[in-house]
Amino acid sequence: MTANPPLRTSLVSESLVFAGQHFTHWRRNPVVPIQSVVFPTFLLIIYYLLVGKSVMRITGTDSLYGLVPTCAIAGAFSGALAVGLTLSFERDTGLLSRLWALPVSRASALTGRLIAEAARTLVSTAVITAVGIGLGLRFRGGLIELILYLLIPVMVVLVFAMAVIAVAVRAKDGTVLIWLGLPAITAVFASSGSPPIESLPSWMWPLLRLQPMEPIVESMRRLSQGELPWWPLLWGVIWTIAGAAVVGPLAVRGYRAAAESGGIRG
Amino acid sequence: MNSVAVLTERMVRNTLRNDLPFAVLAPAGNFVIFNLALRNVIDTGGIGYPQYLLPVIIVQVTLIGALTTVDRAARDHQSELGIRLRTLPISLLAPLTARMLYCLIRGIIALLATIAAGYAFGFRMLGGFGHLIAFILLVLTLTLALSLAADATGVRVSSASIGMTGGSSQILLVPQMILVMLSTGMAPVESFPEWLHGFVRYQPVSQVTDTLRGLAVGNVAVGSLASSLAWCLGLLVLFGAVAVRMQRRTQ
Repeated sequence: MTANPPLRTSLVSESLVFAGQHFTHWRRNPVVPIQSVVFPTFLLIIYYLLVGKSVMRITGTDSLYGLVPTCAIAGAFSGALAVGLTLSFERDTGLLSRLWALPVSRASALTGRLIAEAARTLVSTAVITAVGIGLGLRFRGGLIELILYLLIPVMVVLVFAMAVIAVAVRAKDGTVLIWLGLPAITAVFASSGSPPIESLPSWMWPLLRLQPMEPIVESMRRLSQGELPWWPLLWGVIWTIAGAAVVGPLAVRGYRAAAESGGIRG
Repeated sequence: MNSVAVLTERMVRNTLRNDLPFAVLAPAGNFVIFNLALRNVIDTGGIGYPQYLLPVIIVQVTLIGALTTVDRAARDHQSELGIRLRTLPISLLAPLTARMLYCLIRGIIALLATIAAGYAFGFRMLGGFGHLIAFILLVLTLTLALSLAADATGVRVSSASIGMTGGSSQILLVPQMILVMLSTGMAPVESFPEWLHGFVRYQPVSQVTDTLRGLAVGNVAVGSLASSLAWCLGLLVLFGAVAVRMQRRTQ
């Protein structure tokens, strides 16, 4: 005989509401779209103009096939960092705590955040690939290759976003994130994407082959050339799962502590 | 003069602790990354790539430093303290002067960090004492000119929402990237596509890096020095006038 039975919603619909909150936020304050779309797109064009001719002269291959994935993933990372910059602020103002107190599934704020990151990365990868095609990239794979190509950066950014959350909710302010961002974006650029690996010092080669971004960029490069790169793809997935297993619990625990802190004034 | 000293001290104490890691690591990091990525890719015709690259890293770091100045000026001008300062019996230009002195201090630190990183990778200052002084003065003139431009921009956007959120400096990242990476500071003009040669050759970053490279080896063409000086002093006068005018704006 309850007058108003509580409205039942699912985790999925609640997450989508939280994701929508991020989209609205990004539309009003364009730092995140700039960092995740405008910046990597220009980086691709400018870097290609700078090294395109020289790499062609040395290796005889078009560097575009490595540069497009490099810039797509670098953009996904810089976008996630831009999102993370405001996280400590949201904790201090008590916004995270207020969301925590809502009558919804506790997980939905975090899953919504990750859904928003994934959607943002999918869009920016599509834009960057389209620009790459405008510059002369010819995508030789079929539909399956294209879907995998667009989903690889999404997979990577989910782990990276969890790492950003794990760091940002514990940090005093956003500046700490630079210590996460700098090595990550360097690793992307030090993969097979941008410089021909032979042009780097030989003592670095084993390091470059072992770092997690190498199989990711390599997979995308081969997919765009129409191959199905089983080994790099498998390595990439193993790296991603291992990364998620480490940073996932850290992100969840840190977020919970930040949300239960009640903000700096309360 | 006393107010300027006090305000500068405030800037340094307030900002330098957060800012110092960036001022030191951005130049060192950029130098190492570009040097590794490009040294065997770009054909510089004879000079080692560290020697070739260092000037453009200095210019890039100056530009990125100026971007942080945009946000700082926007916050400083619009903050409650900034408004209060404009009611005090001090010169209206005192906060601006303090911010500029801070930019010069930061510029000197960044310059030292870049040259230290350069020395580790094979860059050498081969010119005499006079060349060294000219090198430093040219960099500092450029720093001041760009900081004034950044300050004027920051004050201009400080009342808009983009100025408060730090979005303005993010938008300016793209022109910065175009100027730095499409210049002869990164690669000789032949490395770029034919249709870009005109822009690459005559844009200011190419001119200034060319002069700095000449000063570093102690052999600089008079024409190159004159055009760099003209650019730096021209920007200094132009943006100096704009920045001073901006301080008078009332909301």
